[in-house]
Amino acid sequence: MKNGFVFFAGLFGSIALSWGGLVLGSHKQLGGLAPFFDEGDSTSYPNRPPGVAARGQLVYADLGCASCHTQQVRRPDVGADQARGWGERQSVARDYIFQLRPQLGASRIGPDLTNLAGRKPSAPDADDLMKLLYAGSELHPAYGFLFENRPIVGERSAVALKLTGALTPAPGREIVPTERAQSLVAYLLSLNNTYDYPESRPLPKAPAKPDGAHGAAPTAKKEGEKK
Amino acid sequence: MTPASSNAEVTAVDTQARWPLLLLLGGAIKWLVIAGVLSLIASIQLHSPAFMSHWPAFTPGRTAAMAETAFVYGWAFNAGLGLALWILGRLGGEPLRALNWVVVGTFAWNIGLTLGLVGIALGDATSFSLLQLPGYVQPAMLVAYGAIAVAGILAWSGRRTDSTFASHWYAVAALFLFPWLLSAAQATLIWTPVRGVLQAVVAGWYAQGVWSLCLAPLALAVAYYVVPKVTGRALPAYEFAPLGFWSLIVIGAWTGARHLTGGPVPAWLPTLAIAACSLLLFHTSIVLLNLRGAIGGAGNSVAFIAWGLLAYTAGGLLDAITSFRSIASFTQFTHLVTAQQQLAIYGGVSMILFGGIYFALPRLTGRPWASAGFVSAHRVTLLIGLALLLVSLAAAGWVQANDLNHKDVTFAAMAADTRPWLLGASGAQLILLTANLLLAVNFCRSVCACCCCCAESAPVGSPFRPAATMEAHAS
Repeated sequence: MKNGFVFFAGLFGSIALSWGGLVLGSHKQLGGLAPFFDEGDSTSYPNRPPGVAARGQLVYADLGCASCHTQQVRRPDVGADQARGWGERQSVARDYIFQLRPQLGASRIGPDLTNLAGRKPSAPDADDLMKLLYAGSELHPAYGFLFENRPIVGERSAVALKLTGALTPAPGREIVPTERAQSLVAYLLSLNNTYDYPESRPLPKAPAKPDGAHGAAPTAKKEGEKK
Repeated sequence: MTPASSNAEVTAVDTQARWPLLLLLGGAIKWLVIAGVLSLIASIQLHSPAFMSHWPAFTPGRTAAMAETAFVYGWAFNAGLGLALWILGRLGGEPLRALNWVVVGTFAWNIGLTLGLVGIALGDATSFSLLQLPGYVQPAMLVAYGAIAVAGILAWSGRRTDSTFASHWYAVAALFLFPWLLSAAQATLIWTPVRGVLQAVVAGWYAQGVWSLCLAPLALAVAYYVVPKVTGRALPAYEFAPLGFWSLIVIGAWTGARHLTGGPVPAWLPTLAIAACSLLLFHTSIVLLNLRGAIGGAGNSVAFIAWGLLAYTAGGLLDAITSFRSIASFTQFTHLVTAQQQLAIYGGVSMILFGGIYFALPRLTGRPWASAGFVSAHRVTLLIGLALLLVSLAAAGWVQANDLNHKDVTFAAMAADTRPWLLGASGAQLILLTANLLLAVNFCRSVCACCCCCAESAPVGSPFRPAATMEAHAS
């Protein structure tokens, strides 16, 4: 490696190759991904999130929620993601195309939140989430700083938390979520990707007998039906 | 390491570069202690989420991001850069040039990092692993890195001998590649973000690049330099070293997508990563083959490097094994992944850097370490802490993985199951913090002693005021 030029060219070539292969390669495949238009109900999916939910995702990111919660459901044969009711299908790239900063996450200290608003058998509502954020639980930290404890002036605020027991605020006071808390909850309640894209259906299992030629037929038919 | 041997080896390169490099190493140790405190908080929050999280600056997500950033960009980069410059200077045989740039760069890097950590505490983290620093400090970090790296590149191009050594390649590769890596990641994640899951792909490429193209090469540059120096023997099978180097540089960055197995990304990405992880075992074996003399070698720095080398090898092997889909689907999203990262970055890279610091400091200051007892105490405490941390995290991860993959186990039950092990991990973080405080105290005492002895060229008691001393040296 006496030749400096060759050495540096080799270094640059290596990093450029990995950049080109991984980043440009996947960009070529997914960069132009468009919403899927369903002719049946004349709507395209995924829906663009409402502005308040898009702002809420930034709150989710800045608090670092992704350090304990993922937002990706894996294939049916991987882990217990679908058995736990986190989603009826695997997450696909198209789910995230309108997200400013997708929060895939890498750690599951807490449950996956991909389809929080559509969770079976019972999805949390805004009151549940506000209460969890305000008071926390044994498993979840309390983010009191997202709320304002203020005296009631005139009428009680419509968004004030309905708290009971030890959490009840002092008489004449109310706990009101700040705008950040409201955006965050609106975001969490917007998390529901239920539309079944053609690419999100699992491939049919390979037949037990060696007649693989017919293996692909059911998918094609299913896709045809959807359209 | 006896005082006599360390004194005998002090060269003009060492005395001339003393203060700029001590500034880098001092910064590294300061960040190591800060990262230790933050990691302890983050670790406690894993089993007691209410701990400090009512302060917005310390939500679990932000604490974890700050701890990771302080450790990687504060400790590992400062220490790795300081040692790499020193090694390049010594191998080049000429005193380091552009040292004033190093000082300016070091200040800029550390001030940028401080602002970045404040930014994360205020909620400006980017939410990309290993790239959490807010977008507004990243350009400054890039320029600061460039300013520090200039001295290394000049030492390489102005070397006395034409031939080069393995330490050269690894050190120069890290100095040269990080700016490309950071600017490419910045452009596509911060300034003009790519869409949707492509962000996760770029972030994975960057995070792996930081590991494979910067941190690991910096550590290996140190190991390749110190091991033959201390053992006094030529490296066995050295003719394979270029193959080991190029296999890391060419293949390393391809292994990042293994963390995206089963995720909403093209399936070929994890597939390539799995193949790359196995291919990288060539690199790991060659490094082990070359540096095996360190294992069982005498001396404190070599003892650190031997442990680091074992952890590096074990880390590479575990990466290859756990990248396979059947295993990854079990370990993914659990503390097992954290345990592996700690094995690589704490057990592998940091242990080698510790060894490098123990080797370099007596030569930079011209005096032995202030307390030999602290040196061995540091090593023993560190090894205990590290072993406890890895075992606890791995056990917690094993329990967590089993619980996660059974649909009927609730998260409350999972938290109860992992709690004892996570308590162990917090204890380990406390031990590691204590160990590193020993290093910090010993470092300060050694540097102060050096200050006192060369009071004519450096103001007494101000080891961290190199701008003034720089002028003294330049004149």
